[in-house]
Amino acid sequence: MNVCASVEKNFVPLQIDFNKGKALVKRYSVKWTPTIIILDSDGNEHHRFIGFLPPEDFTAQLILGKGKAEFDLDHFEQAIQCFQEILGRYPKADAAPEAQYYLGVAKYKASHDPKQLKLGLEALRKDYPNSEWTKKAQVYALIP
Amino acid sequence: MGTQIQWETSLTTAKAKAKREKKLILMDFYNNL
Repeated sequence: MNVCASVEKNFVPLQIDFNKGKALVKRYSVKWTPTIIILDSDGNEHHRFIGFLPPEDFTAQLILGKGKAEFDLDHFEQAIQCFQEILGRYPKADAAPEAQYYLGVAKYKASHDPKQLKLGLEALRKDYPNSEWTKKAQVYALIP
Repeated sequence: MGTQIQWETSLTTAKAKAKREKKLILMDFYNNL
């Protein structure tokens, strides 16, 4: 699926001119362009990224944003699907280590099984050993 | 020819459409230098 199709399927696209949309620039503390923010239908922010990205990284960021929104709304199974989609289709994208981190957390939230956090850490150590997200998950090594 | 994205320009309209279509909103702040 190309970028346009992915956007149309999952999002209502909204474009704001940085120089004209002062109220929204202030409300969402936007300082540089392009800034992409993923919102729910109440206007709550769930994810943002700044700067121009190649199509694969851009699409991975959109799916990550959808996954984080589903996660924030306690829709853990839908969130898991999004994070797995990133790891399956875009394993080399910059969004992938964060997706792996949130996959472990979402599986834990869905199952209440702490072992899911440890499994998430093991996957991070194997596939993304130098990622900040692997550092953030190190504490899960203490889980028995 | 590739598909062109049909952008909304009002957050109020985008929120109503997102609620109706059960979608999220992708808000893109741009600047024509």
